[in-house]
Amino acid sequence: MIASESMSELKTILREDQMLAGEKDSHPFGNSGHLKVYPESEEDISAVLEYANSNGLKINIMGGGTKRGFGGLNEKADILLSLERFTGIVEHTPGDMTLTVKSGTPFKELQDYLAKHNQKISLDPFWPERCTIGGVIAANESGPKRLGYGSARDAVIGLRTVYPDGKVIRSGGRVVKNVAGYDMNKLFIGSMGTLGVVTEITLKLRPLPKSESLVLVSFPQGNLKEIRTFAVKVLDSMIEPVTMELLNPALSDKLTGINFYTLAMSFEDVESSVQYQEEFIQNILPENAKLTVNSKEEADFFWKRFYQHSPNGTAEELPAETEACLKVGTVNLNVLHVLKESELLKDMFNVTVESHGGLGHGLSQVSIRGAADDVASAAKKVREIAEKAGGHAIVKHLPLELRKEVNVWGRNPSYLFLLQGIKTKVDPHKTLNPNRFVGGI
Amino acid sequence: MRGKNIKSKDKHILNLANIVGGARSILYQKEDLLAYDCDGFTIHKHLPKAVVFPKNSQEVAEVVKYCSENDLPFLARGAGTGLSGGAIPLNEEVIISMVRMKKLISVDLENRRAVVEPGFVNLKLTNSISDKGYYYAPDPSSQYCCTIGGNVAENAGGAHCLKYGVTTNHILGLEVVMPNGEIIEIGKDGIPDAPGYDLLGLITGSEGTLGIVTKITVRILKNPEGKQTVLAYFDHVEDGSQAVSNIISAGIVPAALEMMDKTAIEGVEAAAFPVGHPKDIEAVLLIEVDGIAAGIDEQIEQILEVCRKRNVREVRAARNEEERARWWANRKTGFGAMGAISPDYLVQDGVIPRSKLPEVLRRINEISDESGLRIANIFHAGDGNLHPLVLFDARVPGESEKALEAGSLCLKVCADVGGTITGEHGVGIEKREEMRFVFTEEEIAAQTEIREVFNPHNLLNAGKLFPTPSRCVEIKKEMKAQAIS
Repeated sequence: MIASESMSELKTILREDQMLAGEKDSHPFGNSGHLKVYPESEEDISAVLEYANSNGLKINIMGGGTKRGFGGLNEKADILLSLERFTGIVEHTPGDMTLTVKSGTPFKELQDYLAKHNQKISLDPFWPERCTIGGVIAANESGPKRLGYGSARDAVIGLRTVYPDGKVIRSGGRVVKNVAGYDMNKLFIGSMGTLGVVTEITLKLRPLPKSESLVLVSFPQGNLKEIRTFAVKVLDSMIEPVTMELLNPALSDKLTGINFYTLAMSFEDVESSVQYQEEFIQNILPENAKLTVNSKEEADFFWKRFYQHSPNGTAEELPAETEACLKVGTVNLNVLHVLKESELLKDMFNVTVESHGGLGHGLSQVSIRGAADDVASAAKKVREIAEKAGGHAIVKHLPLELRKEVNVWGRNPSYLFLLQGIKTKVDPHKTLNPNRFVGGI
Repeated sequence: MRGKNIKSKDKHILNLANIVGGARSILYQKEDLLAYDCDGFTIHKHLPKAVVFPKNSQEVAEVVKYCSENDLPFLARGAGTGLSGGAIPLNEEVIISMVRMKKLISVDLENRRAVVEPGFVNLKLTNSISDKGYYYAPDPSSQYCCTIGGNVAENAGGAHCLKYGVTTNHILGLEVVMPNGEIIEIGKDGIPDAPGYDLLGLITGSEGTLGIVTKITVRILKNPEGKQTVLAYFDHVEDGSQAVSNIISAGIVPAALEMMDKTAIEGVEAAAFPVGHPKDIEAVLLIEVDGIAAGIDEQIEQILEVCRKRNVREVRAARNEEERARWWANRKTGFGAMGAISPDYLVQDGVIPRSKLPEVLRRINEISDESGLRIANIFHAGDGNLHPLVLFDARVPGESEKALEAGSLCLKVCADVGGTITGEHGVGIEKREEMRFVFTEEEIAAQTEIREVFNPHNLLNAGKLFPTPSRCVEIKKEMKAQAIS
């Protein structure tokens, strides 16, 4: 169906200024639509979905656009549903430490608001200024602080989701402990918008730490055995770092000016505890390693730049250099292996590589920049590295054309039939985010 | 497990015995089956068809396959400590007991994970690794005997989940026998974020209705360096509840924050582990802080300060580990302790937003007055998880029904203030109808649709978790089916 036709039919649902025909012909990251719509309420979303679902139209869903290069093999769907105008806090109960928010709300806006109440959402996604809370949940985005605070599945306690047929399904609730029925929240977290449009998210909050610091330990000799020994010693001690993120030399150089492998350890607690932990690290520091202790302000600056280092999908034009980003999951300490092997990509494919990984949670991220073909080959190689280490790799960012060449999700799991079964029950007409997920879901 | 030969002529019994290795691995005679007619929820009793004791995943898969092919209902059972009836054989099920699958398969301290069989007892895991300074966090009160497989099925909680989360936050991988006998592995090696929908999260807490877990990879944690526990007595419940809120809003994340009211105190003081709580106080708080030792004193000071501001009668920190252990034994045996002051009791498991605590306690008191039954309250106050214990005497005609009704009314109150009907005990049989307090027909249907994907013939643990569908939904479904065909 052409855009103008849908537009005239949708006019009974949306105002004219909530629709924009003919987004430009081809978007380099795809996942666009012939007609872009801007719902402002859950009713709008429900009506658009019901209309599309009963007319055989396909919908792509978009938040801040940072993950436009994440999955999806189609340039355009019939409708691009933007959550840009579906924003705001629905309810914040400071005494209960819970927050209910509309999915299109930019992540940083929420954190800034909560900071006034000495509270925070315990997630640390990339591009917090641009990404939306809905996108973070739908893509199951997490950062280094996952070690201390967990990921989206640990923070989300309730959702409202519009199903493709327009009905609204609530899951979970507004309390922090809940085992009534299936834990349906989990289904939607990380589902890449293939089951429904999440409209409201209820999160459990944490208090802002009373004190925090960032300890950077760099290893001039780049000896990964030495790093491993040190990391194991820290992990086996009683101290409680919130991050144990190892940065490769290139990323460390970019963020700290030190061109060596660097371990970034955050401490967040009451002041006496933070100080004690800094001292503990100083006391067990390996001979060749260099240590810097950063105050809260310095730590904030470091993390701010950290969360902006990896490529995102908000650009309308491709940059001169092709960019890719992969998320690799392995057993915790195999992060070392992933980072080490990824260094070889530089010479092998003539690309630049910025990588980091959490030695306490097992997730690494590898950002690659270079010529298109080289980047694609390097991305495939990252998957090989991941699989050799017993793990998996997911392509988080790549231009559309290259996504057709490099499988985004890797090989299908043996239980794909269950994933397909779930999709078929919830979205039988494949209305939402078609082909965005594992196995063509 | 009586003798070497099967005395039954039932071909299913003979065939099942064959699968699990003979007469010693199956129960099928009425007198043996009686012990399996209920779990920790004793109000409904039903006899199973048989109980089999497989030794490994393969045997479980073969039993399941056999049942599935022969249209025999079946369900899995751990230690049978569940409080909502999840392991009760409503449909004359073949019970697959996991108690022989009780090995600790591996421990990997460096990567902080352990792999266990489902019949492995919760506390044994912590005991097996505590000498190295590690532990397994979820600590339901029954942890000395309940199994980790059962914990996964129920998404068990415990006193310390305020800071560390419930079972689902600690499960990294599962091997699952699907209701058709196929074995799948999710969260391989405990690696996070495998591509695909989060089946790990979906299966955990599904009360044994989606599959049978045969291997579990869990996260293990390093023991906190320091730990301190505070006991605070309040003359008014309101002050106690307000203190709970104030502690949390002061930015402290206690490891545990427990509360008991006057009736509960009467019970625990009359039972096996009395600690000398004054009998005339309205509420006692048990507050535990753990973490880096250097930071604990500061937090304890703050907690004492908050309690004093809330008119606490007496507040103090535990003098030593022995005292701390006594306080906890007193609290953790709280449910059973009600036996000392009442012939029977019924445990409920509502959750409310913390800030509604005073209001909800008032309404529970009203329910108690109206029903004429005493209700004791023991709760994980920090996360708003209430356990009203309705005291009754089953020998008095009609009192059991009255107790059930009072329990249900308590849950209604929790739902009405924006809470939920179960925080850690599960829905099981007990709270099927109460699901309607929190979910619409459509929302319940959305969940049963997911069950159909995993358990299409509903042979596995049928009749649990969901209310019987109302007529109108069935009609809608029929109409839809007709429209399609």
